[in-house]
Amino acid sequence: MPESDAQHLTFKLVYYGPAQSGKTTNLLRLHDLLAPELKGEVMTMETKDDRTLFFDLLPLGFRAPSGLLIKFRLFTVPGQVAHDGTRKAVLSRADGVVFVADADRAQETNNGESFQSLAANCARVGLDFEHLPMVVQFNKCDLPSAVPEAEIRERWSAAPWPLVFAIALTGQGVETSFELLIRTVYRNFCQKLKLQSEHGLSEDAFVAGALGMNA
Amino acid sequence: MTQGFDREWQLDELLDAASQGKIGPALSALLGGDFALTDQAGKTLWGQPSPEARREALILELEPVGYLLSSSASPAALSAARQLMLSLLRAEVRFKMASTLHLESVAEDFESLKREHARLSESEARYKALSGELEARVKKQVGELEERQQMLYEAEKLASVGQLAAGMAHEINNPLGFVRSNLTTFEKYLGKFAELKTHPGSLADGWQALDLDFILEDGIDLLHDSAKGMERIARIVADLKAFSNVDRASQEYADLNNCLREAVSMVEAQMPPGIHFRFDLLPLPGFVCLPGHINQLFFNVIRNAVLAIADSGRPGEVKISSEADETGIHIRIHDTGVGMTAEQIGHAFEPFYTTRPVGSGVGLGLATARNVVQAHSGRISLDSQPDVGTTVSLFFPTPP
Ligand SMILES: Nc1nc2c(ncn2[C@@H]2O[C@H](COP(=O)(O)OP(=O)(O)OP(=O)(O)O)[C@@H](O)[C@H]2O)c(=O)[nH]1
Ligand SMILES: [Mg+2]
Repeated sequence: MPESDAQHLTFKLVYYGPAQSGKTTNLLRLHDLLAPELKGEVMTMETKDDRTLFFDLLPLGFRAPSGLLIKFRLFTVPGQVAHDGTRKAVLSRADGVVFVADADRAQETNNGESFQSLAANCARVGLDFEHLPMVVQFNKCDLPSAVPEAEIRERWSAAPWPLVFAIALTGQGVETSFELLIRTVYRNFCQKLKLQSEHGLSEDAFVAGALGMNA
Repeated sequence: MTQGFDREWQLDELLDAASQGKIGPALSALLGGDFALTDQAGKTLWGQPSPEARREALILELEPVGYLLSSSASPAALSAARQLMLSLLRAEVRFKMASTLHLESVAEDFESLKREHARLSESEARYKALSGELEARVKKQVGELEERQQMLYEAEKLASVGQLAAGMAHEINNPLGFVRSNLTTFEKYLGKFAELKTHPGSLADGWQALDLDFILEDGIDLLHDSAKGMERIARIVADLKAFSNVDRASQEYADLNNCLREAVSMVEAQMPPGIHFRFDLLPLPGFVCLPGHINQLFFNVIRNAVLAIADSGRPGEVKISSEADETGIHIRIHDTGVGMTAEQIGHAFEPFYTTRPVGSGVGLGLATARNVVQAHSGRISLDSQPDVGTTVSLFFPTPP
């Protein structure tokens, strides 16, 4: 459940995935690409050789017609296997997840293990994995060794989550991933948080506010 | 509001009273005397905000966490002070978030360790249950095996008693045969004496004619002979009685040397020629045992020794020695018979293993012997060389 008081509503969104799949890159590109009413700096925590040790944080926000301040706090987890405890702590209280997989064929096992750990960690921190808003992004589609899109689609055809094919390095697919996620988040919480009824926020207005386009 | 690392940190959490006490006077001096700090709701943390003060928001993420106020500072100075304050707060929030997250993740790691531990203990418990089950199963099987060995032992006992009985029958038949024929002859001799009554002529003539001198002498010989035969039968019966302790399954003190001698006398009764015994028996302490079983054991081993010599087709010797030390009683039964190959030694203690033609033994001799030895907590071992002979070594521990 998002944090909320009379004037604020904060969604915690987590970029999860195997090491080096491009989570931090996603956040950095989003910072450049999005222009919501409020946008903080990316706080990158303790990176050593570009590896996230704790987390990265990008805060975004906009005001609903009702005056409610809607905030998004985008976190990345450290992908390295050794940091599972940190990953779990960062994942806790998440309202949505972008799973950033590495499209490189050599990374298939790592993707699989990371996805398993996501499901397991959700259970540990009390998140309902089945109903958690989620988008699966296959990043690094520019690599010659990337698994072809058709093959990935085929393999994930039974899964309920939207698939996005991205090149985070150039920003391609990064915004789409975020948009698809907050659409799911909106649908998930619209009723409970009375986004439409009390705050006058339609799904499109919600998305437009977050991305920083005119609704 | 959660206490997680990802909560939105308040200004008074990031800047505690001690830090405020250090920063406040410094900034106050820098900003020309008037300086105050409030949180995002306007609550004063340091200084005295004056109503006409200029205000700069401190924004870490999206919204102000607090304000800097000064009536004396220029806008540029106040903005510079804000930058200074922000970099200080950013460092602080990074530290706070990282250290709180670190604690959370350590707690998480500890939780996973505990889970792992629980999982391990569970699998250990399962393993323990399994091994208990296995142990019970092994015990049951061992029990069954022991039962089967006991049955085999009983079978062997019956068989050797049968063999013994056959041998004894032969032994008894032999004297019985000549005693019977002696008595028939003696009856004829008495008829000769009866003829004397009706013989014509003088008694002396009759005596002479009937050759009663010889008949008298031979008759006495016949009686002596028969008495000896009867004695032999009596001895065999006595031996058999001692031996038939087999069925008296209670423990007794026994002198194993006596048991050895008894067993030898049983074997001797049916021994082929050309074999003799040599004894080297040193005094032994009394040994608590089942004498019937021990007799059976010695009988089996000694009979094997005799048969091994018989098989070699040469005359030979069975040497039986015994001695005691502080650990127990050592007995060796050595023969100069055919000996055994290494392979035969390997099989020697298996039930139904025999080197002899089918029908001459059931092959339980050594297996039975070992059962008896083990029942007395002892050891039995074989040492043998083909064509040279075999030594069976027995050891029975005695309590200190
Ligand atoms: N070829 C290619 N490289 C990419 C792409 N996106 C990111 N990378 C590179 O992959 C490496 C890892 O990127 P990061 O964003 O640091 O990965 P991360 O998932 O945050 O890694 P951890 O923090 O260790 O979990 C960097 O060298 C990026 O430049 C992409 O779309 N294509
Ligand atoms: Mg990273």
